Amino acid sequence: MAGLVPPGIPAVPADVSHTAHTKHDEKTDYMNLPCPIPYEELHREALMSLKPETFEGLRFDFTKGLNQKFSLSHSVIMGPTEIPSQSAETIKIPTAHYEFGANFIDPNLMLIGRVMTDGRLNARVKCDLTDNLTVKANAQLTNEPHMSHGMFNFDYKGKDFRSQFQMGNGALFGANYIQSVTPHFSLGGEVFWAGQHRKSGIGYAARYETDKMVATGQVANTGIVALSYVQKVSDKVSLASDFMYNYLSKDVTASVGYDYILRQCRLRGKIDSNGCTTSYLEERLNMGLNFILSAEIDHRKKDYKFGFGLTVG
Amino acid sequence: MASRVSLKTKGKGGKGSKGSDEKSAAQCLKEWSTWAMKKAKVATHYGFIPLVIIIGMNSEPKPQLYQLLSPV
Repeated sequence: MAGLVPPGIPAVPADVSHTAHTKHDEKTDYMNLPCPIPYEELHREALMSLKPETFEGLRFDFTKGLNQKFSLSHSVIMGPTEIPSQSAETIKIPTAHYEFGANFIDPNLMLIGRVMTDGRLNARVKCDLTDNLTVKANAQLTNEPHMSHGMFNFDYKGKDFRSQFQMGNGALFGANYIQSVTPHFSLGGEVFWAGQHRKSGIGYAARYETDKMVATGQVANTGIVALSYVQKVSDKVSLASDFMYNYLSKDVTASVGYDYILRQCRLRGKIDSNGCTTSYLEERLNMGLNFILSAEIDHRKKDYKFGFGLTVG
Repeated sequence: MASRVSLKTKGKGGKGSKGSDEKSAAQCLKEWSTWAMKKAKVATHYGFIPLVIIIGMNSEPKPQLYQLLSPV
């Protein structure tokens, strides 16, 4: 484990290391592995391409910066909102709300708060106590009783590992750990215990990344097996595919998607084995003015969602 | 007398033989922590956004008060 062995290894002679580097064949220095990405961001590249934040209806976001660190945001969202229903058809209720947000972003402290017209508060706090220790808190508070959630995370970042401890309401406890094994490969595991639902789980994850591709895999005893693969075809194009299998409920989903990052726009799309196609376009009309189009067509459930929006600032 | 007997027989029905107005330490702690969490939830619900605004208005360079409300 990093940190236990003093850094007194004999250095490779300079000329040998130079030729080794030019041959792109470096001997891996197992004492100097890079720090892995956080456990919850394991599938980050795949999620960016395959799960854009699609919405239905109108969305208007206005962010006003008061100084470098502090900004206020005003959002108007109008559109049908889905409510969970037991039957196969989706039930949508038209809603409109205004959301006010305040953000304070400092290198050491980040505070983000959003409050809606119906009184729901969404708060996120991230505080770097030291170089290696970070405290994060996340809360969704509502006026209805027993519908509020909160979670605290304590992250410790080591030289080539990261560990995290989570505490949430409803006696939810979790811990995860990820370690770099080679410069490209990292392995991790997590455990969680939900007191209120009397459930516990353990899971393992692996991630292999190079400059051109990222492959991740995750298994959990809740029955989920999730594999993903992202290939960076060029600076502008990324292709991603994802496979999720629940071996307890025998549920399978596979999806394939693309992510084009062009000069004036960013276009993401995916198609799913559930018969669902999604597309998300963000077009930069002007400095600080972005136009967003979102479409999600679910052929199996016959659910068609189209949204448009404008983001200012 | 009864309380001394209950001290000697530690494991056997220790809680049951105590008076009805005495609660165990764990129960007290649980009640206080529930009360504290409820107050903290209300305080966070009303106070988080004002807290962020106060911290932001006091950060450098100090923004003016009218900038909070004007859309420019």
